[in-house]
Amino acid sequence: MLALDLLIQGLVQGAIYALVAVGLTLVYGLLRILHVAHAALFTLGGYLGVLVTNATGSFALALAVAMGVAGVAGIAVYRLAYRPLLGRSPLIALIASIGLFIASEEAFRIIFGAHGLSYVTPPLQAQIEIAPGISLSLARIAVVVLAVVLLSALGWLSLSTRTGVAWRASVSDPPIAQAFGIDIERVRHLNFFVGSALAGAAGVMVALLNNLVEPTMGAVPSYKALAIIVLGGLGNVRGTLVAALALGVVESFGTIYAGHLLDRDAIAFAFLILVLMLRPQGLLARS
Amino acid sequence: MHRRAHRALLAATLATMAAAASADSIKIGFNVPLTGFAAADGTSALKGAELAVEQVNARGGVGGKPLELVVYDDQASPKEAAPLAVKMITQDEVVAGISGSYSGSTRAAATIFQENATPYISAYAIHPDITRAGEYVFRTSFMGEVQGRAGAKLIGETLGKKRVVMITLNNDFGQSLAAGFKEKAAAFGIEVIGEYDYGIKDREFGPIVSKVKADAPDAIYASGYFFTAGPLVSQLRAAGITAPVIGQEGYDGQKFIEIAGPAAEGVLITTSLDRDSTDPVARDFMAGFEKKAGYPADMVGASAHTAVLVMASALQSAGHTDKAALRQAIAATQVDAATGHISFNALGEVKKDVQVQVVRDGAWHRHSVISDAALLAPPEK
Amino acid sequence: MAYEIIVATNVAIAILFALSLNVITGFCGQVSLGHAAFLGIGAYTSAMLTKAGMPLVLSLVPAAVLAGAVGMVVGLASLRVRHDFLAITTMGVAFLFVGIVRKQDALGGEIGIAGIPAPAFGRPGLLVLSVVCVVAFAALAVAIRRSWAGFAFESIADDEDTARLLGIDVPRFKLFAFVVGTAGAGVAGGLYAHQVRFIGPDSFGFVESVTVLAMVIVGGIGSVWGVVVAAALLSMLPQWFQLVDDYKLLLYGALLFATMRFAPDGLAGIATRALRRVRGAA
Repeated sequence: MLALDLLIQGLVQGAIYALVAVGLTLVYGLLRILHVAHAALFTLGGYLGVLVTNATGSFALALAVAMGVAGVAGIAVYRLAYRPLLGRSPLIALIASIGLFIASEEAFRIIFGAHGLSYVTPPLQAQIEIAPGISLSLARIAVVVLAVVLLSALGWLSLSTRTGVAWRASVSDPPIAQAFGIDIERVRHLNFFVGSALAGAAGVMVALLNNLVEPTMGAVPSYKALAIIVLGGLGNVRGTLVAALALGVVESFGTIYAGHLLDRDAIAFAFLILVLMLRPQGLLARS
Repeated sequence: MHRRAHRALLAATLATMAAAASADSIKIGFNVPLTGFAAADGTSALKGAELAVEQVNARGGVGGKPLELVVYDDQASPKEAAPLAVKMITQDEVVAGISGSYSGSTRAAATIFQENATPYISAYAIHPDITRAGEYVFRTSFMGEVQGRAGAKLIGETLGKKRVVMITLNNDFGQSLAAGFKEKAAAFGIEVIGEYDYGIKDREFGPIVSKVKADAPDAIYASGYFFTAGPLVSQLRAAGITAPVIGQEGYDGQKFIEIAGPAAEGVLITTSLDRDSTDPVARDFMAGFEKKAGYPADMVGASAHTAVLVMASALQSAGHTDKAALRQAIAATQVDAATGHISFNALGEVKKDVQVQVVRDGAWHRHSVISDAALLAPPEK
Repeated sequence: MAYEIIVATNVAIAILFALSLNVITGFCGQVSLGHAAFLGIGAYTSAMLTKAGMPLVLSLVPAAVLAGAVGMVVGLASLRVRHDFLAITTMGVAFLFVGIVRKQDALGGEIGIAGIPAPAFGRPGLLVLSVVCVVAFAALAVAIRRSWAGFAFESIADDEDTARLLGIDVPRFKLFAFVVGTAGAGVAGGLYAHQVRFIGPDSFGFVESVTVLAMVIVGGIGSVWGVVVAAALLSMLPQWFQLVDDYKLLLYGALLFATMRFAPDGLAGIATRALRRVRGAA
């Protein structure tokens, strides 16, 4: 019973990890950049979620606004930070990205205060018994549902639409894709919009689970999402999903049964190192 | 040559102007995290300290001279705090220092203050080794161990709960609270049936909540700060766990209640600020803080306020700013401050009662007071 | 003077730390996002030994050896995982280090180690020692770059597979870079422990690893002088920005971003271009 409960908690956490990490892996697949500032868009989503909900009372509207704005902000990050540095060592973009992330954390603190914000009346707080003895809040269920819906939509978009074909072609072989007349710039914009909107959605949901957004709420996603995409094979969306769920579950059990030996981050990274030593290209290697 | 002389003259004029502006003030150094992860507590600490300075100066300062805080942001980083302490002492020529910061930076700065024989008071950092830096270093808040022991008494004796789960924060605060709690647990008939750790960045406690639910304890002793405890308590209650949650001063503030919402009701903490106090100093502080900060008083603000008042009263009774005399005066402190009656033991640790506060109708209120001098005695060396 | 001395010591330690990473990342092209772990290993080793009565200067030797030994193990990992996979693996090593130290009572656990003895020769002496270490390590770095190893590093950084084709013993040189770089970080850690005289697990977190990598990249990948200047500037920023306390980190982040965005080849690149312009004008 406890094991099932821990598994479910791990999967909920994994769903959040997946929403954050998929955007990151899309960026990596296209540009080979470790996009740390992605976590700033997650934070932005969280703040917008709380601000819009408190102002209008509509959580659905807040979610839509957060995703839209985070998506546009993602495009801005691409144009401002990454496009001019494309021909350079990816380390340059990494440090630029870290600088952007630090500055944005501080901007959130200066604008909205160091104590963070909370929902005045947090929505989706009802409890639902999903199995005898195991109840989950609607918010947790919503996290999983939202992750499944959004990621399925992404899957459909990339597999069944013309845009998706162009997208996948650009990821696997940019010069050929260009030769076939695919507008690479358009693909990149789309890529940043979609990935960042997913991160924004994750921010809204995390803000709901914790009833708290803080300037530093992106700190953990900033590095853990990197671990997840590496674990998943860098640039491999399916691998990223598997890695996100696996890491959620490993952390869930690890916190309880190995928490006196290692802290949560160390448990996650011990798992990562173990996997990489056995499979240097991650769980699902990139084709 | 000519230009250098000119510049020297300019510097001298500026220095005179600065001195005139501060009207021969008494300078007290104040290191506090205003940026980075600890900025929330730093902001409250600074507000509390500034309020104390304003109150002292409104009453005519100390010996006719106003107090002046020399404030530096230390980012709660030991590496940054050490040079700042040197700067305060050698360049700003402060007569003493106060830490409104966390343990690491306070411990690093304490070394420097001791090296320079300059008094230093830690307002709320709990690291056990801070006062062991030497005889010039004092602390106006409880050590973690002391508060942990008080928590054991509260749970085992006052509440009469025996089967307890501990949820411990992975840092010096959590570790020393846990040590104090476990030290006295058996004495109060408490059996610790489970102990789980979490990190300061964690806000998601799903696995721990599941395990605690399976453990079905009589009470939960959970260390943390408002930003971890708020999500933790609301997640515990959301899972249908109704056992009382006992926290500490880290919870202390309105923000905890704001985050946890209805789940906060009934949560007990051991702390040093009594919201229902009738003491005029405490009432004055709470009213003044809310007016100045725009949010209700918290433990961190009260502790910084207390530290400044202790310093002001020591300056008053020492009669001058000789550092050795000031140290003697601090050691002999007997002051009624916002966090209670303050006096120090031989190590420079505070001796005072522990306030137990409870959340009722969305606000902190008095639950009880623990005034067991033997139980709360801090180490003497 | 006391303030200048303590700030200068901070700067010297930061330079040594950055130079040590520069050997691994700048010269040999192996990205490490976990270099603070080796600062930590050196700091804990040296602090425990001087607390037990060993003189500081002597304690730096085991600090370097232990950090270098663990560095060698990570170097072995670099033979298995490459590029960004390696960067995240090293990041994992640093998280593992902090996570393990937290739970070891023998290392002070969360409480850390306080009361680290002051160096017998005082703070000015510590500054001199730190500067000597920086000069020695910088000289070593320059010597390495000018030697055959420097050429090997460069070709590995450029393209590992080509280097292998050229007959370069890639594993050996990678391990060499990791050992030298991590041992240097160990010495920096020993100095750090006696500068601050208090260490705990949070002194060696992810932020420290990122900060030192930023110093190397901002300096200009591989350039010894660029890295020296960048480490000095970036480590002094928090002290300089005291006047604008509230915006200190905002400015720091913005500056990192702007430097990379507008001068991607770092300070070394800026200097080279300025020099060329001066020569062109003359």
